Amino acid sequence: MHVSPLSWIALSAGIIAAVIMILYLIYRPPLDWKTRGLLFMGIGVLPNVVAFVGNVEGLRATEHQAFCASCHTMDMWIEDANDIESASLAAIHSRNAKFGNSSCYVCHKDYGMFGYVVTKIGGMGHVYEFLSEWMRYDDEEVLSKIHIAQPFKNDNCMQCHTTTGSIWSDVADHNGLLGDLRTGETSCVSAGCHGYAHPFSKPGEETPSHAEALSAAQAPSPEGT
Amino acid sequence: MKVKIQKFLDTASRKRLITASCWMGLVGLGLMGWSLFDQGWIPVMAAMSVGQGIGTLSFALYLLVVIIELRQVEIRHSYRARQRERGDH
Repeated sequence: MHVSPLSWIALSAGIIAAVIMILYLIYRPPLDWKTRGLLFMGIGVLPNVVAFVGNVEGLRATEHQAFCASCHTMDMWIEDANDIESASLAAIHSRNAKFGNSSCYVCHKDYGMFGYVVTKIGGMGHVYEFLSEWMRYDDEEVLSKIHIAQPFKNDNCMQCHTTTGSIWSDVADHNGLLGDLRTGETSCVSAGCHGYAHPFSKPGEETPSHAEALSAAQAPSPEGT
Repeated sequence: MKVKIQKFLDTASRKRLITASCWMGLVGLGLMGWSLFDQGWIPVMAAMSVGQGIGTLSFALYLLVVIIELRQVEIRHSYRARQRERGDH
């Protein structure tokens, strides 16, 4: 459990607010100006500090892998992403220290102008689905009934792998498919290319070979690709 | 409806409203504080929806008390203003 300095400030504000309210509830002093001022701090100002910091920290927390892992339906995906033996794209990317802790969010978020809001609205959809149905699923049902809402966008891969670097362009297949990859007609994570990011969830379908995956893992950082 | 609101504003107990406001504030604070330490989906969602909703309602009750008090304030003119009204200079 990591608690940021901002959270400690919010906690202090919350404790002071709670003390003011509890003291009022115990002693019930007359509502003079001093009491009104204190209550204004305790009911209005300080809880707003807690709410503001809560929003900042809460939204930040939603980007972490641990947040995604807090629903049992994601257990298998998280397990695979964190498996040091796994050669799946998800695992390879999660091993990257630069964003491994937020790998779910970094790969699945919307990178458009209103991407943050769109991603959060999508997340609310997940919460609704979880509460209304998914929470009753066992592992077998999770695998067979829950699927990604829309095909994975190449744009998300291209946030790091820009398709302009020399290492990337040196691959003949990349050059041949450049237009299709940029428009999304051919998916980077299709069976014929790099394979599915979470291959265990698509049994029987083609996945990259272990050697391919390992060589990808040992490749230089995405800046050159 | 308007009459009902007016009657409520005339007769509501300020102390009771503040007491309710404090209880709600404590519940809201509890939920918001929980999310600072446990950042699973339940505490975070609870803090951002129920916690903040209850907290806002608590502050709204406090503001209601302020409105009730402002309605009961007797505005007395200053001595000079009364002098002007009487025409004394």
